[in-house]
Amino acid sequence: MEAYRQEIIIGAVLIYMVFCIITGLWAMRRTKNSADFFIAGRGLGPVVVSLALFSSTLSGFGFVGGPGLVYSIGVSSFWMIVISSTGYALGFFLVAKRIRMIADVRNCISLPDVLAARYNSEAVRFLIAVTIVLGVMGYLATQILAMAVVMQAILSGTAMFADIGLVACVVISSTVLIFYCVTGGIIASVYTDVVQGAIMMIAGVLILLTAMSVFDGGMQEATSIILADDGEAMMPFGAAGIMASLGWFFVFGLGLAGQPHLVTKMMMNRSISDNRTILPMSLFGYVMAALLWVSIGVIMRAAVIDGVIEPLALPDDAASLFLSIFTNPLLAGIVFAGLFAAIMSTSDAFLNIGTAAIIHDIPKAIQGHAIQNELFWARIVTVILAIVAASFALYSHFQDATLVAILGAFGWATFAASIFPVLAIGLNWKGATAMGAVAAIVSALLINFIIQLAGIVLPYGILGGLIAFIVSLVLFIAVSLVTKKPELDADMEAVLDI
Amino acid sequence: MRSNLIYVIFATVLLMAGILVAICLADSVPNAAGLAHAQFNGMQAGGDGAARLEHIGGLAFAFQALLLLLIVCLAALGVAEERRSPELWAYMGGTLLFSLFVWWQMYSGHQAFLETGVTSYFMGFPVATAWQVYGTWLGAIPLIILYTVGFRKFIFTFEDEQKYEQLLENIARKPEQ
Repeated sequence: MEAYRQEIIIGAVLIYMVFCIITGLWAMRRTKNSADFFIAGRGLGPVVVSLALFSSTLSGFGFVGGPGLVYSIGVSSFWMIVISSTGYALGFFLVAKRIRMIADVRNCISLPDVLAARYNSEAVRFLIAVTIVLGVMGYLATQILAMAVVMQAILSGTAMFADIGLVACVVISSTVLIFYCVTGGIIASVYTDVVQGAIMMIAGVLILLTAMSVFDGGMQEATSIILADDGEAMMPFGAAGIMASLGWFFVFGLGLAGQPHLVTKMMMNRSISDNRTILPMSLFGYVMAALLWVSIGVIMRAAVIDGVIEPLALPDDAASLFLSIFTNPLLAGIVFAGLFAAIMSTSDAFLNIGTAAIIHDIPKAIQGHAIQNELFWARIVTVILAIVAASFALYSHFQDATLVAILGAFGWATFAASIFPVLAIGLNWKGATAMGAVAAIVSALLINFIIQLAGIVLPYGILGGLIAFIVSLVLFIAVSLVTKKPELDADMEAVLDI
Repeated sequence: MRSNLIYVIFATVLLMAGILVAICLADSVPNAAGLAHAQFNGMQAGGDGAARLEHIGGLAFAFQALLLLLIVCLAALGVAEERRSPELWAYMGGTLLFSLFVWWQMYSGHQAFLETGVTSYFMGFPVATAWQVYGTWLGAIPLIILYTVGFRKFIFTFEDEQKYEQLLENIARKPEQ
């Protein structure tokens, strides 16, 4: 079996991609209007929503960057995942019920739609839509690049594709992504997410079992090797220190309820009462999949320190090298398929919300009404958005790495800082005003942009995203308190009372 | 009675902002956010953890304690005002105490390691790190139990469901709204 390692891996990835294409064709028959395309007609069951929610949370960053971070900075990066239980809990307490109600009451198909209804403000809609488009470009570009790099690594291991270029890999992987997103919209996305989520859970558990067998003494031997080399790296705050760790706890914990690609999924369930089962199921799935992040990172750091393997050229090589050195080919095939699943499940969610912002929200904010034939334009814009993001990714790789990095600043932390106060607090506090929302969004964008562009490094590893988040929260509440309390429409008043 | 919860949240966030400012103004420590590993390219080492905590340890501890308070207050904000009963507050108080206990175990365990250089292990990790890995994850479980088990009591009661269905019916009768 070992002799056919590359073929088995390629076969597993190929089967997964064919599945995505078939799902796209199947979902196309169920996609009849823009509400189907963007929010699946609000008719999804709890299992589907749970798997879609957690698989969209754990992107390629979780499967590639996560183990790389543990290799690089030790336990510091654990804070990004151990906070998931708090993050999911807050997301459901603060957002899940009311976002679903407002979507129903006002027939909303996007997050900016919901916030425009809540604040009765087209300015809020416009700012949130612009934030989403900027964030989506950065996220999508990095995801597409990650997908292409992994594909190149797999294919170049065979005689037939030994010289395959990165551009060809971007084209192949983006084509599959575009195909199922364009044909099946969010319905294809969430049903592929179900399989993607299942693969990620299986991969997480199997990798943990494999990782525990690398050293005779299991995980404890690995952690004691790291501890003996550098005590801080294996202690709770890791190599990056206490403030970086607590910053991640804040930004990743509270910030989950501000991620547009996740909260949009909370609008898609069939019934509000399904939320009580969606929350624990999503969390369970996430924990299973995140085992991969922790176990690969710890084992690879320990293996290098102990001299079992050579030092890695790049920390992000941790996952792929672990798979090639320590796993059997079948497991490697499943995990590589899981890796593509993780990247694609996040990419399709971003493609969907980015398209909604461009063809639905920005026109509505500017001209007061949606464009004609939204479904047709949704498909066109999905293709264009993916092509532009893929071009950004390639330009960044070959010419100017700062482009995607700047857009990448509009990642998780910026979404968290600009959207969390406006959405999570705004849906639960009648005193929140449109002025407060505008102040929060603008301050979050400006602070993140300035810190990124100016390359400001804060003392003790304090994150720029943490500063932006706290300033945004303070401004949101303070400005809302000093501006005139809004007159809410009767339906909105009723929703906020329930 | 009008809820003052938003003021508590506001005050908590302001205090956290103040602590961040104090940390930024505190004496700096070399390699406070780690340093390159002496042997292995791409790896970071932790630097002098004891020196770091000596300067900002108390502030960082208070920052996290306030964050745990903020999390509980935000969860309570997500419960409709009329359902924030003494029973709910007692449960939330218990949740906060549990989270603070986990945080204290983690922090003091780390301090003990810095002082002695030795640690015992629990389920594969040094004890302080085990409190982080398992304890932090479990810290929010009371909130998840409250949401799932108490869903019909605190989050979306049958009465809420009726009100909501009535609202949808009213809207359906007046499509021009």
